[in-house]
Amino acid sequence: MIAAGLPQRFKVGFDPNSQIFSLAGTIRPRSIDEIAESIHALREAIDAVRGVLYIDVKRLIQMNNTAFQAFIRVALDACRERSDLRLVIVTSSVVSWTTRMFRHLSTIEPQISVEVYDSMFYPGQDYFEDTSFIPILRAQTKLTWRHERTILPRHGMRPGIAVADICCGIGDFAVLAQKEFQPARIVALDHSKPSLAYARKVAAEFGVTGIEYTYGDASEMLLEDNQFDFVACRHSVQVFNQPELLLKELYRIVKPGGRVYITNEKNSHCLGEPRAQSIQWTYNELARLLSNFEIDVEFGPKSRRYLADTGFDDILVESFMVTNLDGDPQDFADIIAGWEKMFADMAMRHGEAPEFIERFRQGFRDHIFAALHPKGYAGWPIWAASGRKPL
Amino acid sequence: MGASVNKTTETAFEPLLQFDMEMEDFLSDWHHCDHVSSYLARMISHNRTDPVRHSNFFSSALNELLEVSFRGGTTDGKIGLSIYRQGATERVQLSFPCPPGQARFYREAVSKTRESDAQARYLDAISNDLAPSRESVLLDLAVNYDARLRLDEDAAPAITLIVDLPLEGMVS
Ligand SMILES: C[S@@+](CC[C@H](N)C(=O)[O-])C[C@H]1O[C@@H](n2cnc3c(N)ncnc32)[C@H](O)[C@@H]1O
Repeated sequence: MIAAGLPQRFKVGFDPNSQIFSLAGTIRPRSIDEIAESIHALREAIDAVRGVLYIDVKRLIQMNNTAFQAFIRVALDACRERSDLRLVIVTSSVVSWTTRMFRHLSTIEPQISVEVYDSMFYPGQDYFEDTSFIPILRAQTKLTWRHERTILPRHGMRPGIAVADICCGIGDFAVLAQKEFQPARIVALDHSKPSLAYARKVAAEFGVTGIEYTYGDASEMLLEDNQFDFVACRHSVQVFNQPELLLKELYRIVKPGGRVYITNEKNSHCLGEPRAQSIQWTYNELARLLSNFEIDVEFGPKSRRYLADTGFDDILVESFMVTNLDGDPQDFADIIAGWEKMFADMAMRHGEAPEFIERFRQGFRDHIFAALHPKGYAGWPIWAASGRKPL
Repeated sequence: MGASVNKTTETAFEPLLQFDMEMEDFLSDWHHCDHVSSYLARMISHNRTDPVRHSNFFSSALNELLEVSFRGGTTDGKIGLSIYRQGATERVQLSFPCPPGQARFYREAVSKTRESDAQARYLDAISNDLAPSRESVLLDLAVNYDARLRLDEDAAPAITLIVDLPLEGMVS
């Protein structure tokens, strides 16, 4: 449903099955009359539920006092009329004012509680937001950039455009892209506060200015529609348990005619010589292990289908192999050493047997052995894909 | 704008931007409040630690102030808006013409934001009122944005609201 007078900027929805009433977008009416329909929808939702009604304001971007007071009037009156009713208001840690404004309701009315929605979006998130992940990201981007700097222009990257890097991690890609392609604007978003702090520190130390680092949830972004010519999301679609949700958000913020560029892996295709078999075994097991965390590290070749299903056209897909020959083999070995530690931790937490974990680790060590071997070869394949938002 | 503010604090505030518009034009469309606050918030936030979230937060506060001037202003004269910065704080200086005698109400509303019962008054307003009053909007700024408000009446019948918003520290 769309509020009268403010087409598309404000959305009200009610899902009777989950008992969730949601308010999203920007709503700044001059008078209550303009939002009468939405107010009525809240009243109806309250009448329709037994027990708890969740009021989801995670995606509420702006709401003036006129609208705020009108909505909370309905909520407060309903609590006064019905002692069985519980209202749970779900705000987002990203939108600073909503939590500060809505928190008062639980003081005023004991039947209302306010929850701040934050981490635990998906099962693997903790691992990716940990500081121990920082050196891995650093080592990965160092090697992938050698390939991507020549790949990117084919996917629409060029000087003077507005760029977003969603799930930017420690921001190295944004720094490199800014230096190489001089975009007019570059926004870099992530949900890891340690990674963002690190990114800002690095930028300050190297005198890099103009990258707008922002804390946010990629599946519920504060960024407005149709803002960017080029939206990158690297190694991250694969870590979401609902990739289609994330892709929808990327689609929303890119301009019509602009492109969304994603890179993903197919970890079971990581390879090395010598010791190919042990390496192969471990990466097959890795893909299986991560699927328990709803992370699909086999996503790479699925990019085309997912981009098409999201509504993109002119889809381009290519793959490249990061190898130990892309410069100093030690850089490749550093990546794998980081993986060994991180993924062995995950295997342990998942309750794998010690013998399994030992064999699992051995494959990574063999991959490192192959990388550093004077006649060895070690590879990590990546799929780069992009699609255009139709005009 | 005729603001007579303490010179030592004033020099410490660096001007970021200034905007004015004929009141008659401003009052011709309600959406000016939304458009001006969103646009200016984005301009002044680009070099904040988290530009996107700072801009969202700042726009929210600025819009309320613009709505106050929209609802309470008269058509003769200009609306003037200046934004300054000192460290983690932005100062919004908003002046607009209002009907004679109204200054007193702003004076009272502003002084209430500085009293120790500001929060209690705010809670009382939002739990009982159907629509926000000028007073509760200013209390909202004090309570939810940690704003410090002052009023300058030197250019009567125009009034100037001076609002310090320490949002940078709250965003990051
Ligand atoms: C595998 S890393 C990739 C980082 C970066 N793109 C790179 O290639 O170096 C995944 C990133 O997604 C971020 N992330 C996870 N969940 C997120 C969410 N809901 N919103 C935004 N970022 C998220 C993590 O913090 C992490 O930095």
